[in-house]
Amino acid sequence: MAEILKIENLTKYFGGLCAVDDVSFSLAENVITGLIGPNGAGKTTLINMISGAIPPSHGRILFNGADVSGRKAYAVNNRGIARTFQVVRIFSKLTALENVLAGLVDRRQKGPWSLAFASLVRGVAKGSYNPENRRAAERLLDLVGIGGYRDELAGNLPYALTKRLEIARALATRPKVLLLDEPSSGLNPAELVDQIALIREIRKQGITILIIEHVMKVIMDISERLIVIHYGKKIADGKPEAVYTDPNVVEAYLGGESHAAR
Amino acid sequence: MSRQVRHLLGTVAVIAALLILPRVIQERYFLHVVVMAGIYSIMTMSWNLLAGYSGQLNLGHAAFFGIGAYTSALVAMKLGVSPWFGLLGGGVIAGFFGFLLGFPSLRLSGPYLAITTIGFAEILRLVAVNWVDLTRGSLGLSGIPLLTPIRVGGLKLEFYFERDYYYVVLAAVLFTYFCMRRFTDSEFGVSLQALRDDEQGAQSIGIHTSQYKLAVFTLSAFFAGIAGGLFAHFARLVSPDTMSLHVTFDTLTMTMIGGLGTTAGPILGAVLLSLLSEWLRTLEDFFKMDIRLVLYGILLILTIRFMHGGLVGVFQGLKERFSGYGRTRNGGADHG
Amino acid sequence: MESLFLQQTLNGLIIGSIYSLIAIGLTMIFGVMKISNFAHGDFAMVGAYTAVFLMAWLPGWMGWVGSVIAAAAVVGILGIVTERLIFRPLLGRWTDIDIIMVSIGLFILLENLAQLFFGATPQMISDPFRGATLGVGGVSTSMLRLFCLGFSCTAIAALQIFLNRSKLGIAIRATSQNRFAAQLMGVDINLIYTLTFWVGAALAGVGGVLYGTTFAVHPLMGAMPTLKAFVVTILGGMGNLRGAIFGGFILGVAESLGGNYLAMEYQHAIGFFIIISVLLLRPRGLFGTREGT
Repeated sequence: MAEILKIENLTKYFGGLCAVDDVSFSLAENVITGLIGPNGAGKTTLINMISGAIPPSHGRILFNGADVSGRKAYAVNNRGIARTFQVVRIFSKLTALENVLAGLVDRRQKGPWSLAFASLVRGVAKGSYNPENRRAAERLLDLVGIGGYRDELAGNLPYALTKRLEIARALATRPKVLLLDEPSSGLNPAELVDQIALIREIRKQGITILIIEHVMKVIMDISERLIVIHYGKKIADGKPEAVYTDPNVVEAYLGGESHAAR
Repeated sequence: MSRQVRHLLGTVAVIAALLILPRVIQERYFLHVVVMAGIYSIMTMSWNLLAGYSGQLNLGHAAFFGIGAYTSALVAMKLGVSPWFGLLGGGVIAGFFGFLLGFPSLRLSGPYLAITTIGFAEILRLVAVNWVDLTRGSLGLSGIPLLTPIRVGGLKLEFYFERDYYYVVLAAVLFTYFCMRRFTDSEFGVSLQALRDDEQGAQSIGIHTSQYKLAVFTLSAFFAGIAGGLFAHFARLVSPDTMSLHVTFDTLTMTMIGGLGTTAGPILGAVLLSLLSEWLRTLEDFFKMDIRLVLYGILLILTIRFMHGGLVGVFQGLKERFSGYGRTRNGGADHG
Repeated sequence: MESLFLQQTLNGLIIGSIYSLIAIGLTMIFGVMKISNFAHGDFAMVGAYTAVFLMAWLPGWMGWVGSVIAAAAVVGILGIVTERLIFRPLLGRWTDIDIIMVSIGLFILLENLAQLFFGATPQMISDPFRGATLGVGGVSTSMLRLFCLGFSCTAIAALQIFLNRSKLGIAIRATSQNRFAAQLMGVDINLIYTLTFWVGAALAGVGGVLYGTTFAVHPLMGAMPTLKAFVVTILGGMGNLRGAIFGGFILGVAESLGGNYLAMEYQHAIGFFIIISVLLLRPRGLFGTREGT
């Protein structure tokens, strides 16, 4: 199985505090990998480095062989890595549809000036957005199950739906790798079932997924591989059944929180 | 009659009314007020693009107005070039300064950015006061040339009287409005609003936010500069006061009351407040005092407190209440 | 030459102490409520006018002292009223831009109300020392200005004691650092908000009296102190009290020396030059820390 994302010795210091300590792993293409660990273990920091939100202190990130370490978030996204946030960052004054349309814009080719110019010279009859993009946006909203809220302001949507909107928006950027940061937090059991189905559906489209989760039900159900982070260090990496019984992992979770909601 | 046909007819009717206005109401004073309202509406629309759609708090907007005014005046007076080119040049130079002011916005936001922009405008105003050789200091530039007449077919159009200058300003206002609608209702616009609503979120979907900030500062400044140039050839006097904080505050008061972040709000605010201001001036004899600016302050406070979304917001709210739409956005809902 | 330098430095320190006094109020309000109050300078203006009227009625020593007390009271009340009616209802519901805008609205309102009621002609606060000066080794200054310096420093020191030793003062500092935790510890947030605004406004009012004794008093005088206070606040880090104190003196001296040795006309722009440079290099200000203070 091809390695689409390779993390080598990734480290992050915040002042004197080491949040991520020499973590290495690789993601196989089109596989769902779970990233778990007690709170504050450094999982989000790891995602932030991979997605370019913060620069690493040491280490390398290789995406399809190319070194993307330290690249800014928009550049990383343009190369094909998308992410969601632990606390959603949707565009609250735009409609759900517009949120997704914002993601669909082809930014590899077009910067602000060409978009501004294009907006001025487009024909009178033509709508604000390319009809293909519009249809694609609608399809994405349907995929995540919020098609009916298309014209609703994102800020008015209930929290659980905004999480799905964020996923749709991330998918709109046509990523090869999708990083999900606790997508299931705040969901009730029925919504969790839908969530699992959605993630499986995304994988069917050929996308590689790395998912941070605390909700064990989701993680154990869909992960084909599990990585465990504790105090910034990787302490386990392998098949879920193996990781689950790994003594290091058990010890890490004992005394911390255990969400044995299986 | 389909929605689009109705829309088109409405637009044609409005433009027709605007075209014959000076022929119907010929009073010079009234037209003077209308021309100034038009110039102000270009200011408000340009500020709205920056603050309302892109979330960049620029309190130095008057600087762009002043740069456009001074440039246009100086180009016409010292270089002997046609004022029409000066007008355009004023916009371009102002746009350049807008680009410069974009750089602080890359690192700063909120009050930090606000003060930096005020500082920028203040420094430029002091330059205008002190670089007497160029700007004649506090006296300002007077006797600015008129826009040169243009010949169309057998007609010669001159731009001395308000009723004629009106058409230049009207053209500029319509052009600005057209650009603003296109900018905001497009992929560009949705990217700007993404930047406004959540900068980090915008970056996560590939938006190079720095480039967008520089672009929108430049565009906003360009239009403000055009407004300045139009002012220069109308009032025919520019002074450092043209760049004062009060000009900026007028602009933002009009925009907020009209409706920040809407396309019609800025024009509505500019026109309404200009007319209100003049009406109050006539009442000054009655009240024995000038309460216009006091009213500005009160209106601004009340608007933010109670009428968030400005007048346009209020109209939209009423419309939704009476036609039973859900809590969605109107106006732009029908995207091609 | 030497004594000119010292003289200008002294002048700078004197005016700087007034800047500090006004800026402290601004930075406190920002630190506790996250409000950038663009009308702050107008609080100073109201204080100055209070002094004008009181001194006209009761000139000399007593009038001056009375003015300061009256200014603190009047502006303090103004502060409480604006906090309750204008700012508090907006907290948490609207964005930063809205709060800045509403304070601009307040600025416009106060400025023009003053113009309406007091007229545009500049007024002076009469000098209780009647022009007496004091000279020591080549530098001299008016007794009045010296008194202003002493008074500002005393007020600043008193504030520090209040914030460090008294229960309410500590509560204010706690709220400034972590609103949530302070609430959990039993602090009445609404009371703290009102108190902070009251103290902040009162300080501005007093600063306004001092400012008015140095410069003329007129309705539009509020803009300068507002901008200077923001410059000082940003220089010192918004919400950072020590920073505001140091920043005020730094700005005062920089303006005085810069104005004298570089360019008098751009004296008022010096502050902006300084903060633009500072912000581009250190966006948190000279004393600011990563997240609040």
